Amino acid sequence: MPADSYAIAIPVGEISRPRQTAQGSNQNPIVRGSLAAQGNRIDDTSLIREAQQGNRAAFEVLVRHYDQSVLRLALHLTGSESDAQDVYQEAFLKAYKNLGSFRFECSFYTWIYRIVTNLCLDHLRKRNVRKEDAPVAVDASGEEYSRLEQFADVRSGANPERDLMRRELGRKIGTALSALTPRERMVFELKHYHGLKLRTVGEMLNTTEETAKNTLFRATQKLRSALAEMR
Amino acid sequence: MKCDWVRQNILFYVYNELEDDARYEVEQHLARCPECATELKATRKFHATLSATPVEEPTPNLLAASRMRLQEALETTQPGSFWHHLILEPAAWLRQIRLSPALAAVIFVVGFGGGIGATYNYLASGRGNVTGTIASDPSNPSLDQPLESSIAGIRSVTQEPGSNQVSIKYDTVSTQEAQGSLNDQRIQQLLLFAARNNYNSGVRMDSVDLLTQAPNDASVREALMYALQNDTNPGVRLKALDGLSGFVRQDPRVRDGVLRALISDANSGVRMQALRLVEPLKTDSNVRSVLTRLAQTDQNPSIRSQARTMLAQMPEMD
Repeated sequence: MPADSYAIAIPVGEISRPRQTAQGSNQNPIVRGSLAAQGNRIDDTSLIREAQQGNRAAFEVLVRHYDQSVLRLALHLTGSESDAQDVYQEAFLKAYKNLGSFRFECSFYTWIYRIVTNLCLDHLRKRNVRKEDAPVAVDASGEEYSRLEQFADVRSGANPERDLMRRELGRKIGTALSALTPRERMVFELKHYHGLKLRTVGEMLNTTEETAKNTLFRATQKLRSALAEMR
Repeated sequence: MKCDWVRQNILFYVYNELEDDARYEVEQHLARCPECATELKATRKFHATLSATPVEEPTPNLLAASRMRLQEALETTQPGSFWHHLILEPAAWLRQIRLSPALAAVIFVVGFGGGIGATYNYLASGRGNVTGTIASDPSNPSLDQPLESSIAGIRSVTQEPGSNQVSIKYDTVSTQEAQGSLNDQRIQQLLLFAARNNYNSGVRMDSVDLLTQAPNDASVREALMYALQNDTNPGVRLKALDGLSGFVRQDPRVRDGVLRALISDANSGVRMQALRLVEPLKTDSNVRSVLTRLAQTDQNPSIRSQARTMLAQMPEMD
């Protein structure tokens, strides 16, 4: 098949944009791009079929529908650019190798996230041995820095007092998050920071919506009490 | 009792995870129960506190680096087909069969029936030998083409002036000559071989030059990509870039190959040419991140300056 006969439905290099959801006033204000991928699902079926027939270009287009969300999730959960890159690499290679077994029983979005969340859970379980590393991130050059503090620098502008408070809050949240079990952390992350429905979270983690709900409840209780104690 | 139920569901109310009827119940209760309303306030405050530290977006550089690393790995990875999984990962389908007793029973019955039928046919025919025919297609041009393994090297590639006739001399056990048009499959096969394998860079240059006349063909484009990434001669890489120029916009693999050349090619002429090719795509996030990197780190001042100019001309991103 000539390489130029692929029907690529999106412009090259287009970055997923946040998709507005019709949720009410309770909409999480920071839910971002992760939902954007859903808009591309219609295009996915033909791309998946092409990729299953060995068309690598189609697979690469498919990767670009989801890779920004995947990298964001991995980055936030691992706290390290190099670990996030490893998760990203392993997840998509695994998807590529196993694409033949994808039978359209769930969306590709759920399928790829299932792979990513499993890899992240493994990573969190390994790292739980040394929890003190949690709020500290490592950049590509091996330098350690606090992601939460860096974020505060960007937002606080010229107000040093506010800056200090933000850093302190960020540190506390990082510590509280790292005290959760890997599964609690994952459910909380997907729900709170990525705005996924609990039904989808359950599918991704191979469990029921009810279990995901209970896990979220437990995680929230732990976080609330941890943050209250720190005040 | 009602308060207990509401307090267990306030979190899901805040996260918009309640069904409409449960949501209505909660709202009705909150309107008349100050204690539960206080709990709602506390839950919302908690939600807002955690939302004050949103998830950091990966930087364009990190995204571009991850994509390139993945792309390199994909080049040496084979996708797994359905049959591949069935054959090589029996545990997966055995697990599926274990979970699907009906399917297992059907497979067993069909297999058993097939075995009986085959035995009957064998006995009824009265002979044990298996017969068959080997199909041959005399129109298949591959039968009279030289195998890549039998080609020792390409001696020369020349094009007849004013025509698309090409003459290629190549060695097998003895030197042979092939003649034909550029559209001739045999000629194309030899050109592809020469572009990748020949020790003589002049021959590689001629081959790549001719191949650029048919870049629509998938294998030709592969050969051009290969030459761009691997050929030791900058002239050959430049030729390959020329051939790929029309596909930078439409084929992501070509675009990424050109971006790789832009970052890592040792020859500044090749990098400069790659920079020209990606100019129409400068609003693409990958291209933008590579331009940013070039503007800061490229050894060649003209390339740094050109990258800065391109970035400055870029429209504001929202």
